[in-house]
Formats: sequence, C-alpha cells, structure tokens
Amino acid sequence: MKRLLLAGAVAAIAATALLAGGTLRREDGASAAPSSRQLVRLGFRELDAARRTGEPGHYTRSEQALRRALDAEPNDAEALIGLASLANSRHHFREGLALARRVQGLSPDTALVYGVIGDSLIELGRYDEAFRNFERLGAVKPGLTAYSRISYARELLGYTDGAIAAMQLAVDSAGDAGEPSAWARTQLGKLYFSKGRTAEAERQYRLALGSYPEYVHALDALAHVEAARGRFAHAISLERRAVKQTPLPQFVGALGDLYRSSGRPAAARAQFRLVGVLDRLFVANGVATDLELALFNVDHGVRIRESLDRARRAQRERPSIEADDVLAWALARNGQCGQGLRFSTRALRLGTRDAPKFFHRGMIERCLGHELEAKRWFRRALRTNPNFSLVWAPVARKALS
Amino acid sequence: MRTLVLAVLGVVVAASVLLVGKLAPGAGQASSHREAPLIAEDPTADNTDLYAYRSTDAPNSLTVIANWIPAEDPAAGPNWYRFSERARYSIKIDRNGDAKPDVTYRFRFKNRDASLFLGNTVQDYTVTRVKDGQELVVARGVTPPNNIGPRTTPNYAQTAANAVANLAGGGKVFAGQREDAFYADIGAIFDLVAIRKGTGNMGGGKDFFANYAVHGIALQVPISQLDDSDHTVGVWATTERPRMKIRSYRKNGVRRFQQEREWVQVSRLGNPLINEVIIPTKLKDRWNRLSPATDAQFVQYYRQPILAAVINQLYGLGVPEQNRDDLVAVLLTGVPGLNNTGSTLADMLRINLSIPPTTMPNRLGVFGGDVAGFPNGRRLGDDVVDIAERAVAGKLKGHPAGDLLGDGVDGNDVPNLNVFPYENIPPSGFDNAKGQQKP
Repeated sequence: MKRLLLAGAVAAIAATALLAGGTLRREDGASAAPSSRQLVRLGFRELDAARRTGEPGHYTRSEQALRRALDAEPNDAEALIGLASLANSRHHFREGLALARRVQGLSPDTALVYGVIGDSLIELGRYDEAFRNFERLGAVKPGLTAYSRISYARELLGYTDGAIAAMQLAVDSAGDAGEPSAWARTQLGKLYFSKGRTAEAERQYRLALGSYPEYVHALDALAHVEAARGRFAHAISLERRAVKQTPLPQFVGALGDLYRSSGRPAAARAQFRLVGVLDRLFVANGVATDLELALFNVDHGVRIRESLDRARRAQRERPSIEADDVLAWALARNGQCGQGLRFSTRALRLGTRDAPKFFHRGMIERCLGHELEAKRWFRRALRTNPNFSLVWAPVARKALS
Repeated sequence: MRTLVLAVLGVVVAASVLLVGKLAPGAGQASSHREAPLIAEDPTADNTDLYAYRSTDAPNSLTVIANWIPAEDPAAGPNWYRFSERARYSIKIDRNGDAKPDVTYRFRFKNRDASLFLGNTVQDYTVTRVKDGQELVVARGVTPPNNIGPRTTPNYAQTAANAVANLAGGGKVFAGQREDAFYADIGAIFDLVAIRKGTGNMGGGKDFFANYAVHGIALQVPISQLDDSDHTVGVWATTERPRMKIRSYRKNGVRRFQQEREWVQVSRLGNPLINEVIIPTKLKDRWNRLSPATDAQFVQYYRQPILAAVINQLYGLGVPEQNRDDLVAVLLTGVPGLNNTGSTLADMLRINLSIPPTTMPNRLGVFGGDVAGFPNGRRLGDDVVDIAERAVAGKLKGHPAGDLLGDGVDGNDVPNLNVFPYENIPPSGFDNAKGQQKP
C-alpha cells in the first residue's frame, strides 16, 4: 500500500512545483477531470469490489472507468489488464485472453499478465499453456497471485496435498489482515473441505472471519460445514448472513437448499425464484451465466431440457473441465447417457479429484447399466469427500448399500 | 431402487427429481471459475523504508534499519501483523562498489502456536550472516508481541527493549513491530493541490503515517567489520519468496512439491522513492526482481525522470528534463567527494563510514549542509520527501524551485528513540489515536 501511496508522490511533486512556481490558479470548488491513472485505479477498485461483494453493478462501473482511461491512452497496459481481468470476471474468456495477450506485448515484464492469461486459458480448457503461464508467474513474482493460481493448477491435476501446500504459502503471503488474506484462507478451507477434512476447513473459515468480519465467502463456506454436520439451523443462519450482505446466486441457491432440507419448501421455493432474478441481473451487467445457471437447474431438476442447451452453449464458449462436467451431467439428466459419458471422460481427463465429478460419472455409468463401474465411481466420490453434497452423497451411499 | 433406474433414461431423471424434491440439495460447491484478488500487494514482502547511519550513541557502529509491512493499523487487528514465515528477509552490504553483496544478514521468522482468535505475534527468528560464501548463524532472537494495549501487553517499552539481542562477533539486533518513522503528507499528495500552507517549505502538512506501525529490523554492526580503504559502503534490503512450480517430483519415492529450493527476490529498497517515483509502472516487477548490480539498464529513467517532464508539462517551471547526471550521481554512483563508489550504476544507500555523526542534524541532510544525512546514508529524521522533490526540481543544478518545495511535514509525529532500536514503540491498539472517544 505504501508503494501505491507513494506513487502519488509524482502528483505531489507536480502540485508542489506548481504552487512554488505560482502557475496554478484553480478556482475554488472547481474539480479537475480525473487523470487516466485515477481512472485505472478506480476501475481496479470496482473490479475488486465486484469479486469481493458479488454485486454485479461494479462490473459496469469498472468498465466505464477503464474505457475512459483507454480513451485518453489507447495503449495503457494497466487499463488493458484491468479490462482483460474484467472480461474474465464476466466469463468472456476469449476476450480476456486477447486483451491479456495485448498487454503482454506492451508490457512483458508485468508479472500479473501471466496470471490473467493463465486464468483465461484455464477456462478455455487449454491447460498446458495455462500452467506454463502460471509457472512463469511463479518464477518471476512469487506471492499470493502466483501461489493461489499454482494451487488451483495442482488441484485440477489432482494433487490436493500440493494444492493445500501452495495455498498455505498464499495465506502466508497475504499476511494476516484484509480481504486478500480472508480470501486465501477461505480457499484453503475449501481445499480441506473437498478432502472431507471439515474441522480444518472450519478453522480456516473462522480465521478468515476473525481478520475480515462478516466475509461473505467464509460465511457461505461455513454454512456448508454446518450443513455437512446436519446442523441446519446454524447453517441457515450463516447463509442468511451471507445473502443479506451479498445475494450471490450460489448463496441464495444454497439457502434455498438448506430451507428445503429443514422442511420449509415454501421458503426454499422463494429463494430458488430469486436465483433466476439475480441471474438476470448478472446478465444485464454483461456476465455470461449459462454454465452456472445450467448447473443450478440440472441439480434442482428444473427446466432440464432448456438447461441442456445452455450447458452445450457454455461448453462451446468455455470448454473447461467444469463445462465438460456440467454438460455431462445435463446430458445424463436428459437421458443422453452415452453422450454424457463422452463429456464426463473429458471432464476427468486431468486427474482432478473432485467428488461431484466422480458422482456424476457414477450416475452416467449406472444409467448405461454399468453397475460395477457406477459403484466404483460412487465409492471414489465418497472417499474423496463424504460431504460433497447433502442430496447426492446419500444417493451414492444408498447405491452402495 | 437400483433396478428401478437402470438404463431407462427418463426414469433416472424422474428418480433424481423425486429425490431432490424430498431431500435436498447442496449442489456440490458450484464450480464457477476462481478469481484471485486482482490487487494483491504482498504486504509482508513490501520493503517500506531503509535507513543507514552512524548513531551518536554508537558512533563506531553502522546502524541499519529496514522496515516492512506498510501502514499497520494498531487498532484494526492488533493480533495479526507478523513477518512472513515463508519469506527470506535480507540486509545486504556492498563494500567494494561492485553492487554485489559482500556481507548479507539474512532473517527467517517462525510463528508460535496461538489460540484461534487471540493470535500470537511473538515470533522466533534466526539471523544468518553470509560472507565469502560462508553462512554463519550470528543470532537467534525473539520479537516482542505487537503493542495491543496496557492489559495485554503491559510495560511495552521495557518488553520491547528486552528483545534486543546480541550478534555473535559484536553488534546488536532487534526485530518486531515499531512506530513508522517515515513521515509525509500523503493525504494532500493525493489531492492535486498538495500543499496545505504556503509553498511547502513552511510546514502545515499532515503526517499520514502518524499512528501507524511497521515491522522493522534494526541491526548495529561495528564499523571495523565493514570498513575498507574508501570507507563507503552500499546498503540495500530485499525480500525473497520461494519459486513454485506446479508439478511434483519424486525423491526417495516420496512425492514432493518444489518449495524453498530456489528463491526469487520480490522486493528491494536502497534509496527511498526509487520504485515509486523513478521506475515506470511496466518495469516495476522486473526492477524489484533484480540486483542493484544490473541497474545500468534503468539509467535513462534517472537521467530523464518522468517526473521532471511532468512538472514542466503541467506548470512550465523549466525544471531540467534531460541529462540529469546530478540525479544519477546521487542515486546510482554516489556523489564524488562524499560517497562515490566508482562507475557501477546501482541503486544502493551509500554511506561514507568516515563521516562522523552530528548531534545537530539537519532534516534536509546534505542539502541542508549536513553531510551526515541523506544522501550520505539516511537517518530516521531525514526528510526524504522534501529532499527528493527539491532534487528533481533541480536543487543540485541551482534551480530556484529546488529550495521551495516540500510536503509541509518536517518531522515524525513522535520522537524517535535515542537508543537502539531507535524507532519508537508502536502505537497501541488501545490508545489508537484515530478513533474518536464518545462522551
């Protein structure tokens, strides 16, 4: 922060110089137009606020600020990297990649650009290239930015312990204060949770909340821990605190799920309707949500047919293993299990140890009549994370009994 | 159940829907893409200031103070700030002018166990001296806790003083939370009319860094261990983090992930304000990664500082924009006759160890006729913001703006100490001066 602050010394010296020379005569109350640096800073802050709070209006404000900065300086690397990152945030990964590549040409020594390029490539399913960019970032500027991405790469490759080790370094690098620290701790907690290590997950979420009170992502994650323990009242109360601050569709959906588990179907339905409304809000702010909405619908058994189209569209736009998995699941729920198998195989091609993906594969195998295979996948899902889903984990258990 | 769903496609769907309706949810952890914070500033690796001087109470030693972790707010999580356990902190000293370290003091920190919420800011640390390729542990120390308040950390000054450790072979060391001795009117700097009063050489500024703390390392080394015939040494501080690769490797049949086998420098600091004012944004990451010995590649930004051009473009002061060999000398080679180290261009804080300390320091250092201050080393009280402003405005070239500029803050908000470790104790969270007491 001090460095950011002191970069303002440039402005200071300019301003002091101007007073000394007596050449500045500013009318009282007149406000100067913001400089392109100020616009870039504003654009970054809005983008970070979008990520932190989930309020999609920040995307629009971020774009306005960054585009105005670019109007003043069309090749401003910082403004472009902001726009690249914004495109990724809105799930327009091809656009994000093109913008980030442009920044790489203009400013090849800026470490962050390799992170943003890798982010785009990951979501486009181009993993080898993505990992090379992450490693380059890890070689030139190790820190939260690099470690958290390397953690994700290891997670995708199925090295969960290595992912945890990398995220521990990200936590260390973030320091013990502020949102980046809370974010890294929450990610670390989610890695533990994905291995079924609930107590360690909880510890990280609580530490995140200790240093960044009411952090919505930690509240939501903690709600999942409580739900896994069957403590629905606690879980609901946590999820409501998250939703009250930040009605992200996934939080609202999770709250609806929790209501339904506690025998409050009407309250659940109200939340599920809200998911659709919120989705439109994101779309209105330029976010592509086909994949997320398809998964929600398919998981909740609504608009199954339409959701398959969405999943197909999403998989074409962003052919990551996540999209492969959602499409596989949507195909299965539409009875197209042969096709589903093809995409499930793609979804598992990196060796990722993700219980929901194993479960989806099990359902597909069962649908194809491959009983033994199905059981094998259900066992893998439960062994990876016995709490992977309140509804589907029992389905897997029942199939094995 | 199993037979029911078997193979019949629609039935699978129906059964699942039924289940969803009856039980519930927990749609896995929705797998949206993952977004890391865009602006991750790595505060525990961030070198904020570096000082090197001969103190009047220890004139036969070189005192070096290096600070990290900017703007620690004592009331906002007093339990949280610590040195990084996974980083390597170093103070490097070049004795012969080649801008390569001849003596390095390397610090590693280790946390102690803590209860979940109370935290524990006491850290154990090791000081390793690297000299002529030999590594020697010269001290093992313990930091004091952060200053939380009179109930949690009573008698703080004494507790902190007790944490001073001796270096094997002579000298002292301290590491831990301290008051930030740096001062500047950053609030005004951000507003375009940056001077609250007069022309900046008349006081009236507000010290933004008042009531903030940093984590500091203070080192006092006998000059006899460092001095040589030309008496001038160059000092800089660095932070390194381990490089990380994605894939594992196998060693003795065990899968391991690359860690702490290769270190990458992520931050450095010699002269003040170089990273902030001289180095262009797009080269900052590169500059931070490199050793001062390669600084010749950045010389154009010293010789033609962006800042001088900006001043002229906006305000037409006629500040010299080109051929600023005056700045190159001050910042990259040392000033001839004062602290020059030869022709190697390198950003180091240079101090001529043969110049005695003074009991009557001038905050403007050499510009104020006091050769025991910046840019001959840097003392805690030296007003580097004013000096930098005047230097860029052409003080050394006799330009009139070179005597007028400043941010209106001429000293630290609290006195620095007369004794090691010199920076004052950090403000406590309890006393936090930024809050407002209710009646």
